[in-house]
Order: sequence, then C-alpha cells, then structure tokens
Amino acid sequence: MKKGLMILVSLALLINGVQVFASGGADSATNGAKEPVKLVMGSWRADDVEQMKGLLAEYTKTHPNVIIEFKPTNPPDYNATLRLQLTSGTGPDLMYARSYATGLQLFNDGFFADVSNIPGLKENFTEGARSPWMTQDGKSFAVPFVAVSHGVYYNKDIFQKLGLNAPETWEDFLKGCDKIKAAGITPVANSLGDEWDIAEVVFMSIAPNFIGGREGRLAYESGKRPWNDANMVATFQAMKDLVPYLPAGFEALTYNDSNALFATGKAAMYFDGSWSLGTFKSVPFQWGVLAPPPPKGKAPQICFHADAGIAMNTKTKYPKEASEFLAWIASKEGATTAAKYLPTGFYPMINAPITIADPHANEMLALNKGRGLDVRLAWPRLMEGEPSGYNLIMYGSIQVMKGIKTPQQAADDLAAGLAKWFKPTK
Amino acid sequence: MIQQTNRGLWQHRTGIAVRWSLYLLPALLFYTAFMAFPLFDSVRLSFFKSGSFLSKDFVGFDNYIRLFSDKENSLRFWSAFAHTWYFFFIHMAVQNILGILFAVLLMEKGLKGAGVYRTIIFIPATLAVLVTGYLWKLILNPQWGALAVFLKTIGLEQFSLPWLGETRYALTTVSLVSAWQWVGMPTMMFLAGLQNISDDMYEAADIAGATKLQTFWYITLPMLKPVIGIVTILTFVGNFNAFDVVFAMENVNGAPLYSTDIMGTLFYRVGIAGQHPVSIPDPGMGSAIATTTFLILAIGSALVLKATSETSSRQAIR
Repeated sequence: MKKGLMILVSLALLINGVQVFASGGADSATNGAKEPVKLVMGSWRADDVEQMKGLLAEYTKTHPNVIIEFKPTNPPDYNATLRLQLTSGTGPDLMYARSYATGLQLFNDGFFADVSNIPGLKENFTEGARSPWMTQDGKSFAVPFVAVSHGVYYNKDIFQKLGLNAPETWEDFLKGCDKIKAAGITPVANSLGDEWDIAEVVFMSIAPNFIGGREGRLAYESGKRPWNDANMVATFQAMKDLVPYLPAGFEALTYNDSNALFATGKAAMYFDGSWSLGTFKSVPFQWGVLAPPPPKGKAPQICFHADAGIAMNTKTKYPKEASEFLAWIASKEGATTAAKYLPTGFYPMINAPITIADPHANEMLALNKGRGLDVRLAWPRLMEGEPSGYNLIMYGSIQVMKGIKTPQQAADDLAAGLAKWFKPTK
Repeated sequence: MIQQTNRGLWQHRTGIAVRWSLYLLPALLFYTAFMAFPLFDSVRLSFFKSGSFLSKDFVGFDNYIRLFSDKENSLRFWSAFAHTWYFFFIHMAVQNILGILFAVLLMEKGLKGAGVYRTIIFIPATLAVLVTGYLWKLILNPQWGALAVFLKTIGLEQFSLPWLGETRYALTTVSLVSAWQWVGMPTMMFLAGLQNISDDMYEAADIAGATKLQTFWYITLPMLKPVIGIVTILTFVGNFNAFDVVFAMENVNGAPLYSTDIMGTLFYRVGIAGQHPVSIPDPGMGSAIATTTFLILAIGSALVLKATSETSSRQAIR
C-alpha cells in the first residue's frame, strides 16, 4: 500500500517536472526569436474552419514570424466558453467579438484590449461600421470584421411564370403573395418552430422599412418615440399580414424545414440572411434575393448587420504580434485577402471597393445601393436588461402570428417590458 | 442464551461488515468525487454571485430571492414546475399503466412469442433520446412527416395538426414520445415483480372462482405495490431531471412560447447555455434552480419511499 503511494507520488512529481522543463524549453525558444510566434484565434464560426485556415495561412506568408491557429467552439456555447476561458486565464490571443452589449461586457470586464489606436482602423472604417464595437465614450474594443445582410430569397422561375416582379412596396408584396397562393404554391417559406428566426430574419429584416431605418431606431432609443408608436404597431401588423401565406403547419416547422421548402421549389419566397446564400448553390431553378419592401410612402431600408469583430485578449503574451494582425485586418490588403476567403454571404466591413466572387452574394450586396442601412433592431440597446427587447419582439411576433395578441397589444407589451429597465440614450 | 447467540451473531456480522466495506471503498470514492462533491458544490454555488464560474462573491440567498420575487423569473420557474408535474402525470398515466398491462399480458401462459414482444417493447429504451426525439419530430412534421402523409392518403388531412407547434398539444406530445420511449423499463420491472408472486395465490383464486379482473385487482396489484413504489420514484426522479427529450424536439427555450419548458431545460438555459442570442449564463441562479429541484426530489422520494416501505415491511412480516 505504502509502496504504491510512493510510486504514485514520484510519478506525479515526474510528470510535473517534465512539464516544467517543457515550458522552460518553449520560453527559451521564443526568447531566441527563431521559432515563429503561435497565436490562437477563438470563434463561433465552426463551419468556416477551412476558409479561415486559408486566410490565416495567407497572413503567415507575408508575416513568417507569426502562425495563427483558428480554434472555433460550437456556436451556441461560444459566449459561455469564451467567458470561462478568459476568467481562468486560458483565453485565446485573438477572438471573434460579438457586436454591442455581449462584446462590450467582455471589454468592461477587462478581457478585451482597447484597440482604438490600431493603425488603419479610423481611416478605413466609417463610424457606422466601427460603432457596434465601440463604448459610449468612443473606445473601440474590436476591429470590424464581417457583416451579414438580410433579404427575401425568391424563386425566379415561379416569379417569371406568374409575371411577377420584385415588389416596390409592402402592399405590392402582399398582392404578389396572393397571386402565388392562387397558383397553388406556398408564397413564403418561413415558420415559427425554432422561434429565433422569426425575430431575427423576418421581424428585424422588415422593421427598418416600417420604423424609418437608423434614424427611426435612434428616435426610439433616445426616448423621442414611444416603443408602441404607430410604426411599431405597423411592423407587428406586417408580421400578421404574412400568416395566410405561410406553409401549412408553419407553427411546428423549423428554420431548416423552411430552407428546405424554398430549396425544393415548394415555396416561392423565403426570408433569411446572407449566411444562407451557400445553401442554395445547387437548386434546380433560377433564384435571386430581393429587398424587403417598405410600406407605401416610406424610404426603402435594408438590415445590414454587424456580425463579428476581432478583439485582442488583454492578457495575451504577444500583444505586438496580435496588434499587427489586427492592423492587417484593418488594412485594404488584409480586407481584400479576407474577402477572398470569407464564406459566401459574409461581407467585409471596410470602406473600400472589394470584389466578391459569388454572383448571388454580389446581387445581395447590390441591394444596399439606394437604401438606408441599419443593424438588427434589438442589438444596439435592447439586450442589456431583462426582459430583453429581443425576447419581447420574438414572443410578441409569435403571439401576433398565432392570433393570441393583436399587433397593438404586442407593441404595448414591448413598451411595458422595456420600461422596466431601459434608459434612453442621452 | 438467546442473548448470547445474538451477540455472537452481531460480532460476526460486524466483522463481515468491516471486510465488505473495503470492497465498497472504490465505489464510494468515485461516488464522492463525481456525484456527492458536485452536488454539494452546486448548492454552495447557489449562494454566490453569478456572472462567472469562478466568482467568489458570497451573496447569501440573493439568487433564491431573485428567482422567486422577480415576476419574470418566478413565472418561468413556476411554469416549468407545473409543466414538469404534467410531464410526470402523463408518464404515470401512460408509461406506467401500459407497463403493468404489458407485463401482465407477457406473463399470460398461452402467449406465443413473448420474448419477441418483450424485445420490441424494450428496444426504444436502448436508443438515445436525441435519436428518438428527432425521429418523432420528423414523423410529426406537418409538411413531410410520415403521419401527415399517412393522414393525407386516407383522406383525413384535417387531422394533420402541427402537434409540436401549438401550445395546447406540444407538452402532451413530447410527454407521450418520452413515455413511448421508456415504457420498456417499468414493463421489465413489473415483469420481475410478477414472477415473484407465487402461483399458489392464483390457484387459490382460480378455485374460489375469481374472474381475471378480480384476480388482477385483488392479487396482482396489491402484490406489486412495492414495485409500483420503486417505479414511481424512478419516474419522478427521471422526469424532474428530464431535459434531452424537450431539447431534441422543442429546443432549449421549450417552444412554442415556453409551453414545453420543464425544470431540466430551465436549469440548462439559465445556468449553462444562456438564452439565445445574448446567452450569458447565470451559474448562481442556475444552481439555485438545481438546488430547489434537488429539494423537491428529496422530499418527494422520501414520501413515496415511506409509503411503500411500510407495505414491504408488512409483507416481510407475513
């Protein structure tokens, strides 16, 4: 018994000793500056490992002293995992940063470094592009990396057969839906089963058109407009307008079912984000993306959402190398390389003409021309408290679409829920 | 004399007990490290400030106060609590009653191929919940699910409803799927219980001219009481810890509109995953929910155990 214990203890000591020697070795190697520095990048984009490997390999080509390893986590676990890593001191050197409150919180907790002075950041990005990763007093906590767009995918073959064009107004859109329905085809593929998508890719995709885009949002946030004003009621009403055109059993169908309904040609239109562009690569019909139309008399808007920035760990061992990478991402050269490797539907945010190879991705980006742009309504201010504006919008939309509440009630609930914690922007 | 032998027996027994306890030691160590310690640590965590897994700020009962006094939080908690009871009720009414029925039928002497039926009944219990959950979700899909297609071919399309999308049916549907999956467990336990009932009783009943129903009601059922107790406890504990079937069929939010939210999903959402899209988990609050669930389970199990151990000790006397 005692002998066994001795063996165990000496084994443990041995393992520890080896570790000490091993880390000692690594330190001396970096001090010699011969071995390349190895940085780790955290992300929630587990689907993009190949693309990011390609992009980071390009970086090593021009910066041979730095190797960056892409280490994504399962998307829904990213926020929790990252926070755990950062608190325990095992966080990555560089990492994807969520826009607004979620990212800002990590900066306020001292995990994200202040990157306001990264060269190129102020020159190459508009303030609108930088603001999702900025504090109220104007400090940047991440370099803008990619944005996603929102729109309505449509089956061009069906539109041609029925003599339809991309609608100019919401009223035209509904008329088109009637025509499609009369032809025996499901007009809109979306559904309620997964809940989140009805808020993110339908409500927040059409909302800018109804509330007057960015300016409208700022008016709500500054308290100039009540959250249950006529525009908000109209947005909820628009959600109700869609109900007759949704597939049978839409209450139980999921996000993936909706995608499949459009991809198999059973539905003529489908509200979704640009990240789904790649999923329709091999469908047997012509398709395109149209902008969600505004109601008559309002200016057209697009929900163009700041999705991911890249932040730097305050505790990184290699702050110099990490900031150099951020500066590269903020440069035209870096953004061009990134655009080459980024998955379809993720757009660089840099203020420079960047060519995008995929024609459908280009078509979707072109919708931005002549339209106002804004991020998803709930992101900038509505997710900082409980109940979050996101949930109020999501459950409000579902209740309206199921006939449990009227659009007016849903808007009133939004206002009442936010009144519990929301403080208007000064 | 009697006392002496008793003492001798006692000493003998303690000797055996000491020796046996050595065999229990490894299991005890594992149990302590992987069951007891996490349990007590989660109770400890429920008294600490949330926001970080390694947080060291003691806040007393603050998490519990926030859980029960905040309108939104307490609404979520009590609705999950009520849903879990409903979930348990369906399991008792469907899974366990079917379990007794199947067990009695399988014991029938004239039944051919009892082994085959037994296997069929038990197969779902050997599959992963995520697999059966997704399978049933697919079967119930209102667009291309097997059920919808079947109803359409026999011309009863109007009965093809979005079972998982309506607050009215969703929880019942999920509960039935879970009951379907686990019905093999009580069946096996009741089968074992039935095999312990001596044939003499049935023969006596037969001679007395009792009908099948009377035999079941006055002999089988009372003799199964201890097994019913164990099955009830297992169902109760299993249901209050259930999570995966809702996760597989209705996601972590307990869609639609929280109507299938049970204790397991509430705890997971609050304590571990955080709610989409902000998803900042609150481990302190999560632990408070887990501790409350633990207390409910401990009290509930103790009550059932007390009720059934009385019966079994009475039986032992007989």
